[in-house]
Amino acid sequence: MSEQLYFDHAASAPRRDEVTDAMERWQHGTVGNPSGSHRAAREARRAIEEARDEIADFVGARPGGVIFTGGGTESCHLAIVGTTIAHRRNHEQSVVVISKVEHNAVLDAAAFVDHEYDDVEVRYVDVDADGVVDIESLQERMDANVAIVSVMTANNETGVCQPLDAVTSVANASVPGGVATHTDAIAAAPWLYLPTVTATVDLVSICAHKIGGPVNSGALIMRNEVALEALVPGGGQERGRRGGTVDVAAAVGLAAAVRLTQKELVDVNDRVVDYQQKLCAALSFLPGCAITAPAARKVPGTVHVTFEGIASDELLFLLDQEGVCASAASSCSSGAAVASHVLAAMGMPFERARGSLRLTMGPETTEHDVDQVIAKLSAAVYRLKG
Amino acid sequence: MSGGVDSSVAAGLLLEQGHEVVGATLKLWGGVSDSGCCSVADVDDARRVAQTLGIDHHVFNYTEEFNRHVVEPFVRAHAEGTSPNPCIECNRHIKFDLLFDRARRLGFDAVATGHHAQVRDHDGRHELVRGADEQKDQSYVLGYLNEDQLAMLLLPIGALQKSEVRAHAERLGLRTWDKPDSQDVCFIEASKGREVFLRQRVPLTRATIVDRSSGDVVGETDAAELMTVGQRRGVLPNRDGEKRYVASVNVDERRVEIGTLDEVLVTRIALDESSLSFTHEALKDRDEVLAQWSAHGRVQVATFRHDDACFLELASPARPVAPGQTVVMYDVRQPTIVAGAAIVVRT
Repeated sequence: MSEQLYFDHAASAPRRDEVTDAMERWQHGTVGNPSGSHRAAREARRAIEEARDEIADFVGARPGGVIFTGGGTESCHLAIVGTTIAHRRNHEQSVVVISKVEHNAVLDAAAFVDHEYDDVEVRYVDVDADGVVDIESLQERMDANVAIVSVMTANNETGVCQPLDAVTSVANASVPGGVATHTDAIAAAPWLYLPTVTATVDLVSICAHKIGGPVNSGALIMRNEVALEALVPGGGQERGRRGGTVDVAAAVGLAAAVRLTQKELVDVNDRVVDYQQKLCAALSFLPGCAITAPAARKVPGTVHVTFEGIASDELLFLLDQEGVCASAASSCSSGAAVASHVLAAMGMPFERARGSLRLTMGPETTEHDVDQVIAKLSAAVYRLKG
Repeated sequence: MSGGVDSSVAAGLLLEQGHEVVGATLKLWGGVSDSGCCSVADVDDARRVAQTLGIDHHVFNYTEEFNRHVVEPFVRAHAEGTSPNPCIECNRHIKFDLLFDRARRLGFDAVATGHHAQVRDHDGRHELVRGADEQKDQSYVLGYLNEDQLAMLLLPIGALQKSEVRAHAERLGLRTWDKPDSQDVCFIEASKGREVFLRQRVPLTRATIVDRSSGDVVGETDAAELMTVGQRRGVLPNRDGEKRYVASVNVDERRVEIGTLDEVLVTRIALDESSLSFTHEALKDRDEVLAQWSAHGRVQVATFRHDDACFLELASPARPVAPGQTVVMYDVRQPTIVAGAAIVVRT
């Protein structure tokens, strides 16, 4: 078996040992229900509140705004659906405005309210050829009926960053009294300093397993108070915004992951941005290779390219044989690589988009890994180009 | 690996024979199907079988190509009143063309499938032979394969009875061992059927049903496209109680002709010359063949004619064959061996 080269951090990042260690205490024996009143319950509650403090700090919000969830998809779903339902209570019409390049967590949540309620409409904001939201297009879709505007912080496929300040300023100027804004910061969290980048956004979604934490753990962070209906009222936990007993281990794991990410943010960025440049430079020499959105501002960890005349399926197969874990960035529930809605929104022809490859890096990535992946990818491309 | 028992066992047997095996499932239909969106339940089964066998498994996306080569032509053909076999088109254009090309590029020596048919070596050439299980034989849907394709094809379960295949699956601990056989077109939901599928894609044509002998209008159909030449089901018997069959479908003229069996029988089946395909050398004018024109239909003795026109002369009259259907021709001296195939055209 060849050595494993893991270049799929954006799908799921390797679990950090510090995270495993922090969670360990809460993975066996008595773990009290944090809602209870005895000693075991108090211990559990304390762990959760400590975690909440750290997560609030990571995003630059007040601890009271942190809602623990079962992961990124749930966070995004709660943000979109929860605000829309709350908006419907005192409005005749509710409009959801999202960009065309959102992750399916947001797209499908919007499609859900669109389908479920006759008085809800979803409007999609165009992006330019780099995948950056077109502010004029956003402006055109805004009116007084908008319930929520959701634009991601950085794209999960291409790594391209969005101008969130411009988005929120246009959004708020269009609705008297302002409008709820949400950002899916899941792909951005390993790289960007969220207190600054998402400073003007009301709701921020993050999840643990993209930053070395456990899966099924995430949070929706409410920076500014917005009306949000719980989707699972349950026992009124999380200040009535998300019922159900909070998973102590998951919350502690998320906190450990954000703590590490925050601590290493500058170092990891400095190191990986060099790898990104090295990869892009090397890949651009391969036949038929085009760097996606070459001039756009991107998170350092993502290198997205397309190969003319090559199908992602074949490239990924050969890479997999060589121990390289990479991705075409968009796949369906069957696991097959599918046409990317992100690239389509950028105006990329299908024939080009079907040759997509996304390499994503993280804190563990070394220069040796990068050199190896360049060699293996080159061999695979030349083989397929025959 | 479709997620069915046959391809599951095919993979298992190859592995036991010492081959290095990688499982591949083709994602073909992107829409809703009987096994969920993108056939996700079948893909899950295939993946689980691969895990059980300890082999790698990949899902290859051919949705676009499947749409272009199979689904769109299927819809178009119906709009023209013909009846193509989508499984054959899928085999021709996807499985034994695109997938074979891909396999070669990725460095594979052979592609195996779970079809009930056999590839035999004969004097350095490869022959396509019926599967050992006569009830399950699928040589018909592979009739288009040529020597080059057969040379790269392995059919590990072709020599087995279906019951033996299931016994192997159980022995190997594969979750598909008792999974029911798939019967229908994979992109059409059984509960909704062909009619609903076509109605969502093309306007269907109301047509009069005319008795062929009397010329009388005897009824009406709200979808001429769904009437298939040769079919009896859904065609009302006449007052005399004698069964009626569809003799012809003309969508443009909004006219479907029916007749009694005697009235519709044919002895000549016109073939599309450009669709002719032979396993090895071409059949010659006046060669005798055994012709079969449905997946599990009976064979009929026929003479292959390829002179001014291209057609089959049947030794005894048969119900008419719908244009668009594939006829597979078997060797008259060795009746289990495929000689070639062609598509039926309107006469």
